[in-house]
Amino acid sequence: MADDPYAALGLTKSASQDDIKKAYRRIAKTDHPDLNPDPKAAERFKAASSAYDLLKDAEQRARFDRGEIDASGQETPQRHYYREYAEAGDSPYRQQYGNFDDLNDVFSDLFGQRGGAGFGGAGFGGSGFGGGRGGARSFDMRGNDQRFTLEIDFMTAARGGSTRITMPDGSALEVKIPEGARDGQVIRLRGKGGPGMGEGGAGDALLTLIVADDPDWTRDGDNVEVTLPITIDEAVLGGKVEVPTISGAVMMTIPRGASSGRKMRLKGRGIKGADGKHGDQVVVLKIVMPDRIDDELAAFFENWRKDHAYDPHGRN
Amino acid sequence: MTEHRFSAHEALAAVPDLTPEQLDRYIRVGVIQPVQSDHGPVFRDIDIARLALIVDLADGYSLDDEALGLIMSLLDQLHGLRGDMRAILDAVAHEPPETRASLSRTIREVRVVIRR
Repeated sequence: MADDPYAALGLTKSASQDDIKKAYRRIAKTDHPDLNPDPKAAERFKAASSAYDLLKDAEQRARFDRGEIDASGQETPQRHYYREYAEAGDSPYRQQYGNFDDLNDVFSDLFGQRGGAGFGGAGFGGSGFGGGRGGARSFDMRGNDQRFTLEIDFMTAARGGSTRITMPDGSALEVKIPEGARDGQVIRLRGKGGPGMGEGGAGDALLTLIVADDPDWTRDGDNVEVTLPITIDEAVLGGKVEVPTISGAVMMTIPRGASSGRKMRLKGRGIKGADGKHGDQVVVLKIVMPDRIDDELAAFFENWRKDHAYDPHGRN
Repeated sequence: MTEHRFSAHEALAAVPDLTPEQLDRYIRVGVIQPVQSDHGPVFRDIDIARLALIVDLADGYSLDDEALGLIMSLLDQLHGLRGDMRAILDAVAHEPPETRASLSRTIREVRVVIRR
């Protein structure tokens, strides 16, 4: 930031709090990077916005004026402009304007596949003017489809279930999540979108699902993976242990001498796929030491090591 | 990988000059669409950046909610198209020189010559 935040706002030290706000708003109007692509404008906006952050609070401004804090110490972490997100191909806010889809228009042009539908063809697809002909009749138009994003946890996605969401108007809506729901999957709720006009029906609500990361489970297609902590004696001797699965705990046999990282496969314990078949569950073993190594255990290994040392690195 | 999510409380802290009433109103009129979750609405990075822009625009131009909705819609289309254009330019940059020259000729014909 410039050394003098007042200069960045085009002001002097005598400016009132109101002047400061007004000066910032004026610069935001002309130089906001979301409105003005000129890099120089972005520089001016950045300086003004840091200056405003410093000076907008009267108390903080007084401390700066007395020299207790300096301008550079107040720089806020790099501000992220909306355009950085909005230019992405999957910006959720761009998808909501009807079926407006220049990208497809442009790209189908490129590949010579353009149909007859020009601008507006798709956007007003569901609409039609009122039944009868002649006269100023009321006009029927299907309501807009409304897009929402819904975040669900791993198990809700895997098992299916239902969840409630709050619509922008404050009403609650019950949503059924299908078993095996995927990240990015879109659920269509017929007639739950914007209201229609005249005889036109309501639009649909389109919910894009985000499946949140889970600390224990990961998913690869219809297969799931979970890490299973086991004790050293289970690792050495093998045996039956209880393993969590999507549909509840099951018993699994660990082979004698299992190492950490060994993967065991439970067939058909994964997520139910589109074809109705379940994927598999992969269980990754992880040997966990006891909280405290007692004397007996230490003594045993000291003794054991004398005759049975082995080299897991394969150096010999 | 899910990115960071802001609660309503954190969103208010992250966006200077945003009041709780404003935030509720923007959600109600639909210019902000947080992600729905079991713990109520949560905000993505894109929502935070959008809120900061909305506050600047609404205050700077004294916009009511309808005008704000219109401007955000136009900006979303503009930003989206810019992103599309970059994608096309990137794709063109990977083409051989003859293809690029031919594209450039065609573009001159439709954009530059006709406009005269």
